[in-house]
Amino acid sequence: MVGKPRLELLHVHTPASISGSQRTRIVDGALRCIARQGVAKTTLDDVAKEAGCSRATVYRVFPGGKDGVLTGVVDTEVSRFFSAIAVRMGEAGDIEEVLVAGMTEAARRVSRHEALSFLLESEPEVVLPYLTFAQMDKVLEVSSSFVAPFLGRWLDHDEAKRLAEWATRIVLSYLACPAEGVELDESESVRGLVRTFVLPGIRTTRSGVDQPSFDEFE
Amino acid sequence: MQDARQRILEATYACVARWGLSKTTVEDAAREAGLSRATVYRYFPGGRDELVDAVVSWQHLKFFGRLYEEVHGASSLEEVLERGLVFARRAVLEHEVLQMVLRTEPGVLLPKLTVESNRTVGMISGFLIPYLQDHQLAPGVGVHEAADFLARMILSYISSPGHWDLADPGQVTKLVRCELLPGVVGNAPIEAL
Repeated sequence: MVGKPRLELLHVHTPASISGSQRTRIVDGALRCIARQGVAKTTLDDVAKEAGCSRATVYRVFPGGKDGVLTGVVDTEVSRFFSAIAVRMGEAGDIEEVLVAGMTEAARRVSRHEALSFLLESEPEVVLPYLTFAQMDKVLEVSSSFVAPFLGRWLDHDEAKRLAEWATRIVLSYLACPAEGVELDESESVRGLVRTFVLPGIRTTRSGVDQPSFDEFE
Repeated sequence: MQDARQRILEATYACVARWGLSKTTVEDAAREAGLSRATVYRYFPGGRDELVDAVVSWQHLKFFGRLYEEVHGASSLEEVLERGLVFARRAVLEHEVLQMVLRTEPGVLLPKLTVESNRTVGMISGFLIPYLQDHQLAPGVGVHEAADFLARMILSYISSPGHWDLADPGQVTKLVRCELLPGVVGNAPIEAL
């Protein structure tokens, strides 16, 4: 069973004594195995062979055996994912761009992730429990906490967090259930979605420009 | 006399409620329905897998049938959304067999639900279209585009509400006004309630 990804890993440097590059080689080796044959069929021998090291080394770096390796894989990929979207969001100059950049990069990384794609196609039971119902609430929490600061220039914290959760929800929905005419990995398509459905729902107060408010909808 | 196919589905569902999805066999369903194995196979030649898929589909349709009953008298788009979210979320939480299977065998159920979800979005979307046609929409927003967006968002909130408490009417109103309607009907959200 795969352990929960730990957000604090994003802020921790791998100690030199655990040989960061060795760990990375094993994780990347495991990812290649999973992309080829899935989780159930991947053995520690497969991983060791792919990583170019001994089984003993794999056990030393990941004492939990296969479960330990899988937890390490998830933690590493989550870190890489959030780092990648952070770079894109950090480059953005306004709310629209933060959202478009973050959502597009997120969609690209998920849809182009070979191991994840294999699992979703052939072993969905391994990943779907972590992405749906109550577990999706946890994904929303982690994602919104991570993304909110990138919106902090323009929004107060509560609104930033709400918007971050909403954007995550939208990406997950279109990834799970593609729609005609929406290409989530193309920024102009995402921009269309954001401009149509998201921007009108944001209350910007920081710059002193308030959205007009209406009491009725009709 | 109840249709035999329906009887088998209900019997299978009763077995699932008792033993879970993985442990329910064609024999169990037959015994529970008071029918022979051969009869069950006649209606479900694909055996256990086909039977389980059929039960999931049936329950799924039943759920949305109940949701339709709850909201179809609504007089406005906003009312449909608010009543729908409250009812559907509560129904998800109170569906004992669903919650049990999610807890104990999510890997068995979730792939099937994911396959259904496209159809579900289509169903909810189709239901919303008349309400959207009656409403003035934001410039440049098409009825079908809006219906698809609302449908997928509803499905998302009722299974994973995130920070929203859908048992709180004030929050439901805020959710509808801030995250569902602004882009669709062209009004900005009201100040926080």
